[in-house]
Amino acid sequence: MAAEASRWSGLRNAAILLLLWEIVGRLDLVAGGALPGLTEILHRLWIDRADYPLHIWATLYASGLGFVIGNLVGIAAGVIFALFPAALRVFRGVNIAVFALPPIAIAPILVLTLSGMAPRVTLAAMGVYFVTMTATVIGITQADSRARDLIRAYGGGRWDVLRLVQLRGAVPAILAGLRVAAPNAVLGAILAEFGGGGRWGLGTYLLGSLGRGEPDRLWGIGLVATVIAGLSYAGFALLSRRMLGASRAVTLNAAVPEAAPAKLSPVPRLLLGLAAIAMPFLLWWGFIRLTGVPDLISKTPWGVIDYLFLGRSAESAQARLLAALAETLPITFVGMLAGLGFAFLLAISSRLFPRAIAAFMPVALITQTMPLVALTPLLVLILGRGTTLTLWVTISVTFFPAFVTLAQGLALVPRSAEELPRAYGASRWTEIRMVTIPASLPYLFAATRLTVPRALLGVMIAEWLATGKGLGNLLNQSRGFLDYGMIWSVAAVSVALSVLFYQIVVVIERRVLRRVGMSSAE
Amino acid sequence: MQVPDGIALDGVGKTFAGRGKVVEALRDVTLSCPSGSFTAIIGPSGCGKSTVMRIALGLESADAGQVRIAGAPPLAAARDGVTGVAFQDAALLPWRTVRRNVEVPLEVLRQPLRANAAKVQAMIELVGLKGYENALPGELSGGMRQRVAIARALVTHPKVLFMDEPFGALDQILRRQMNLELQRIWAETGSTAFLVTHGIDEAVFLADRVVVMHANPGRIVEVIDIPFARPRAPELFSDPAFHAVCDHIAKVLHGG
Amino acid sequence: MTLRLTRRGFLGTAAAAAANPLLPRSALAATPLTMQAAWINDAEFAGYFLAMDEGYYAAEGLDLGYLSGGPDVIPESTIIAGRADLALTTPDTTIKAIAEQGAPFKIIGAQYQKNPIGIVSLVSNPIAEPRDLIGKTLAVPPVNVISVNAMLKLNGIDPSQVNIVPYAYDPTPLIKGEIDASLDFTTNVPYTIGQQGVEATSFLLYDFGFTIYNDTVVVTEEVLAEKRDLLIAWLRASRKGWEENFKDPAAWPPKWADSHFKGTGRTIDNEVFFNTAQQPLIESPSGIFAMTGEDIEKNLSALGEVGIVGSHDMFDTSLLDAL
Repeated sequence: MAAEASRWSGLRNAAILLLLWEIVGRLDLVAGGALPGLTEILHRLWIDRADYPLHIWATLYASGLGFVIGNLVGIAAGVIFALFPAALRVFRGVNIAVFALPPIAIAPILVLTLSGMAPRVTLAAMGVYFVTMTATVIGITQADSRARDLIRAYGGGRWDVLRLVQLRGAVPAILAGLRVAAPNAVLGAILAEFGGGGRWGLGTYLLGSLGRGEPDRLWGIGLVATVIAGLSYAGFALLSRRMLGASRAVTLNAAVPEAAPAKLSPVPRLLLGLAAIAMPFLLWWGFIRLTGVPDLISKTPWGVIDYLFLGRSAESAQARLLAALAETLPITFVGMLAGLGFAFLLAISSRLFPRAIAAFMPVALITQTMPLVALTPLLVLILGRGTTLTLWVTISVTFFPAFVTLAQGLALVPRSAEELPRAYGASRWTEIRMVTIPASLPYLFAATRLTVPRALLGVMIAEWLATGKGLGNLLNQSRGFLDYGMIWSVAAVSVALSVLFYQIVVVIERRVLRRVGMSSAE
Repeated sequence: MQVPDGIALDGVGKTFAGRGKVVEALRDVTLSCPSGSFTAIIGPSGCGKSTVMRIALGLESADAGQVRIAGAPPLAAARDGVTGVAFQDAALLPWRTVRRNVEVPLEVLRQPLRANAAKVQAMIELVGLKGYENALPGELSGGMRQRVAIARALVTHPKVLFMDEPFGALDQILRRQMNLELQRIWAETGSTAFLVTHGIDEAVFLADRVVVMHANPGRIVEVIDIPFARPRAPELFSDPAFHAVCDHIAKVLHGG
Repeated sequence: MTLRLTRRGFLGTAAAAAANPLLPRSALAATPLTMQAAWINDAEFAGYFLAMDEGYYAAEGLDLGYLSGGPDVIPESTIIAGRADLALTTPDTTIKAIAEQGAPFKIIGAQYQKNPIGIVSLVSNPIAEPRDLIGKTLAVPPVNVISVNAMLKLNGIDPSQVNIVPYAYDPTPLIKGEIDASLDFTTNVPYTIGQQGVEATSFLLYDFGFTIYNDTVVVTEEVLAEKRDLLIAWLRASRKGWEENFKDPAAWPPKWADSHFKGTGRTIDNEVFFNTAQQPLIESPSGIFAMTGEDIEKNLSALGEVGIVGSHDMFDTSLLDAL
């Protein structure tokens, strides 16, 4: 009954929102018509309908192929990592790098080194890999320990446990991962299409349409991208709901979790750590050797070091890079904090005013699937080209994953713990302050880890398309100068920075959580 | 030829390395369960009774002493299909039907499923779940799930049957029903049974001998023979002699 | 810095070179040759589309592969990587790469005798000459900042006097007055702006001293050596395509509505406008793609003003001479 009522009120709120959008759009209230009414966009979609099928097909093809490849690699890697924790340690650097790399810095590199559909497929696959790999590792390692014992009690080995219990048991976790990964693949493909010079694809269509100065077309393309991403999300959500019913353990696992594996002695630990740092560079080097692209345009790790420190233009390169960093980094931090703060407020509000937030969610989702290359020129009209714009773009790319993580954390706070203060007559706010917020600390850290690399992405997009400052601008100017060393340096530095920030958050997280006796949320 | 004991533990010891301190989980545990006997093991939490069973199953290795299951080392016995096991709660694979859950040990032991179909069906009928072969665990009641676990434990016709608090999650009424059924099934199979339990009445009702353990370090303090004739009827639960035995065990448990 | 070609690229070119002299051209099966365009499909490449569709390349024994461009595509990179034999580039980046990185490029032709890039503004807020830019906001694609700085400098304006912001390929900010002017193809954007009911005005950077070509035809020295005949054939067929195209600039774009221009997001009317507007910038008394000594000198001196030091030997006019 209550669920029914809230569903209706959710629909009602969504309808009100759509109506507001329509009125605002029709009256050209936002930036002189940069936000058209919904019916205007739909009308435009109808006019353009003949253009879409081939573009949609190309995007589906690239993102679908990338999705399949990224997931196959992700699941295979997840299985290996779950079975051999040492492998997980060795690949830790690679995994964080893949997670943290800003797609806009990587897209030009991929276009330089690969051809045809390959850059799109690769970018889509990279957006998928990390999510699926993590879900697989978690799904396998958290498999019911009693079932594992059962297999072993009949003399079954590691393979039997994997085959009979863990793989199937990991399916819900993997499906949940796929749900998040699917829109990532679509966005990755579109970004690569935008820059990569193909004939078909929504990204290509977007690029061709940008020059027309017709916001309704841009919004239409964005809407189509949103629908594709949304449908793929919904499809896997449905699938996982159907699978989940039959997969959740029917009894509570009361068995004590296995003791952590024996601590490694310092020497092997140091070796594994070094391997973890060396691995991304080794893969980078291998990638370049494999693609066989000449040294002039593709830089190995050594090539970048040479360019930045030893070469003839090292001094000027360093100076330009440092100047760009000085512009980019401060706003990245501010943007990250703002995004986190917004996400936190939103998560808390969703406990206090669930309905208002539920109505806001579809809008939030659109901001996540709308290609930023389409949105930014329009945002410029509303926000100008200053810090405000950069902050807004950064908040819009950071808040959603952070919000989802935080909301999940808040939802997991035991009801009894929340009801305790209430039993003593505490207000809803006191209850949140005393129980909910402290209890969600691990999730705040998890959200921060998610936010750090995305903040850099947001700032670089704004710099590229609007403010003309910092790393984002340097990257694009370097293309004009055929300054391949700088293109690779910017990509390498932005990935390295993301990894560094991520690692800093992890260290702080461990310290703080250990002190308050909590463990980190995955 | 002498039939080896179903379970033979000789001087078994086990220590766990915890945070900075070493916990002696078992010290000098010696116990032999004759073939076809029913042994219940009881003790407070942390006394190591589950560890005894895990060592006997080969899930953990003993630091000292010797373990023989039907004359063989635990892992070899497990691989030969000598043992059957039912864990605390049912520990069913939630995505498999009743039949497919019962088949799990056969799959692990690489036994052909088709040739064993009749055996699987017989076990399902033995535990009274005829008609539920294609149900998923989520669709069953707690007692029914536990019966699936028993059927699964019996499907390999084990010579030695281990049960770790198999009815721990059930309410008192259901538990008594399951005790009766377990007695019937065990009598039909004639295997050596080893039951880890918290329930004194359950142990006394089912077992030929009750082994009482104490903690710190985990050790056997007394083995009590249970004299009641078989088959035991539910009326036994209200017999004064039954209560006398239970009271004695309770006293031993509490360090009397 | 050294340049290494891929093995595949090397073997391919070697094979083509070995096959070529042995057979008369007419008997040769079509030889593959790939070109990298500078942008997505629009009228900027009309001559090539026409030559493809009318079989001019096939008649020259060429099997032309055509790669579209985009913001992340650096045409020069494609030829270095061996994925294309020739590329249409902006001469400033190409010459800078040759001069400063030792890139082994040769310019063998120039599509635009006058670079169509210019400053576009609204008639209601006109920017008629570089001086008018002082104190104004100008949107420039980051890759073209180098050209704007050159033009400003040539006109005695300190670039810091102009507020340069990135141009995101969307004229909406100009139409809405958020910026005062933008740098774009003058052959294209004024039409788009006109479609929005606003009148645009523009001037070419070329007309204010930044006298460079655009869409220069660039090859690597290696390809030049190995595939000289094929490149001449390409120039001949392409020139014929452009000449045919300019007989009636309005005639061809509609024919490509369902092929080259399908689904680009642009309109055929737009392409016709573009095609008509670019005619005077491409045509030359010395023939399409011409690079006269005088014009090369203009290019070099304009680029010299911004510190890009080129030389005549970066241009190879011998292929044009052989047409």
